[in-house]
Amino acid sequence: MNSVTSTANKDLAEKHIAWQRQLNKLRWLALTTVFSILILLPFLHLYQTYLAAHAYEILSPNEKIIFNVTQSLTSPFTASPESDLDNFKGTTWSGTLFGMQLSDPLAVLTNISASFTFNTSFMMTALIPVLLTLTLGRFFCGWICPATFIYELNDNLGTWLHNSLLQNSLLQKIGLPIGQLRFNQRLKYLILAICIIVTAIAGTTLVSNVYPPAVIGREIYYLIVVGGFGIGATFILITMLFDLFIARRGFCRYLCPGGALYSLLGRYRILRIKRDVTHCTDCVRCNAACQFGLDPMQDNFGQECNNCTACITTCPTDALSFTINVKDVQFQGAGHLGHQHQKQQGGRLP
Amino acid sequence: MDRRVFWKVLSGSGLAALIAKTGFAANTRTTSRFLRPPGALAEDDFLDHCIRCGKCGESCPNETIKFFNFENGLSSLNTPYIVPREKPCILCMKCGEVCPTGAIKNILHDAETIMNNVKMGKAVINKDLCLSYQGKSCGVCYRACPLPDVAMTVGYMEQPTMTDACVGCGICERACIQMPQAIKVLPTTTQRAHS
Repeated sequence: MNSVTSTANKDLAEKHIAWQRQLNKLRWLALTTVFSILILLPFLHLYQTYLAAHAYEILSPNEKIIFNVTQSLTSPFTASPESDLDNFKGTTWSGTLFGMQLSDPLAVLTNISASFTFNTSFMMTALIPVLLTLTLGRFFCGWICPATFIYELNDNLGTWLHNSLLQNSLLQKIGLPIGQLRFNQRLKYLILAICIIVTAIAGTTLVSNVYPPAVIGREIYYLIVVGGFGIGATFILITMLFDLFIARRGFCRYLCPGGALYSLLGRYRILRIKRDVTHCTDCVRCNAACQFGLDPMQDNFGQECNNCTACITTCPTDALSFTINVKDVQFQGAGHLGHQHQKQQGGRLP
Repeated sequence: MDRRVFWKVLSGSGLAALIAKTGFAANTRTTSRFLRPPGALAEDDFLDHCIRCGKCGESCPNETIKFFNFENGLSSLNTPYIVPREKPCILCMKCGEVCPTGAIKNILHDAETIMNNVKMGKAVINKDLCLSYQGKSCGVCYRACPLPDVAMTVGYMEQPTMTDACVGCGICERACIQMPQAIKVLPTTTQRAHS
């Protein structure tokens, strides 16, 4: 009886899970799209200013290239780019997409704490992100955040440095570790609280200067339109070095105030990754793949999981999958296909 | 304003007063002459409400709006500003349209509404430098003014005189052919302006 149901479950699981292995590719597509939109928008802005000034004749050759490329890109979609392109403005911190205003919940929170006013129209712009976070958890961190795009590539660089380049090299002899330190993940909630208190005292939204997605969107704009990075680029560089040499994905895990807010909002999320204990082989690949240092192999996701699907993609037996659950399951024991469980079974059975 | 009252009530001796006095939060350390975008709230409220999203600059068709680095202190880091001599505001009012928080008020693109609601500053004429006051009728600022005869009137030798209707867009300052310019916009934001 048991074996029948388990095989049935297995077939069912395989049918449902197979496509989830592709989600990581989809996620990278989303991250790349958001990042390239952030790069594209300043060029659209430049194009609009050229149009507004009727200045094609006096543009320099490089600017003419920008004008021509952007014109050919936008011409299929809009007849009057000068006004229509106003529907695409801003960054992930606060932006306009297809004419709809969307804001980061942290922007709304710090705006309230800085100004001591409840600006309803501004609060409504964060409604959709908040509702999505309540159901999906920290999906923004894994799927949209332009900082994640940079930090994940940075982390891959770190892994590569660690695995190939630094073997027996000077750096290793000095003893410089590549992201080995671990802190308490609750540190970021303290930082969120400090950020809110400081904005309330200072009366300015200083958080936007230490919140990577806001900084990155702004710096890309500065680079393309103003012609050079601002101070924020230094900040991003420092966080990247912090991630590389001090703690793996350290900023997102321990310091990011936005990540803390998303974690709190997504605490009772519906969409959770769950381990199917009957398929698990205890191979620990999921734990190695998890850049957030969580423990999928022991059912330990918590509110920190950002739904990045790296563990689902890595799992060789499709034991991990997205499920609709309000709570994480307790530790289910060793994976049934692993050595430990087999030994236990062997011990009990004659 | 609410915020200040709140903190004064909350902390008698307090941290807040200390921080406000050291100029970490306050806007009293302005050192350069700049304008805030048209329709911006009073400087203190503006810093409260602005979330530094940069959409005002991104929507500005004249590329007028620039962003502070550390020049004006930590509190105005990444906030928008205008230097009228370099690029004046053309009063298109797009920045107020896109501002999500209302730090820049959404004002209709209409001469009457703009005159009633926009007050970036007021142009001040230096008669010693102005060509028209020196007997060489010039009138360039008058020709450039978006509100001629309302914000600026001229005499028989094109000597400009400012009225209270001036919104401070700075087009006259940009247009002035004197070097240094004979007409300057004195911003409402600045407490200690260069004369």
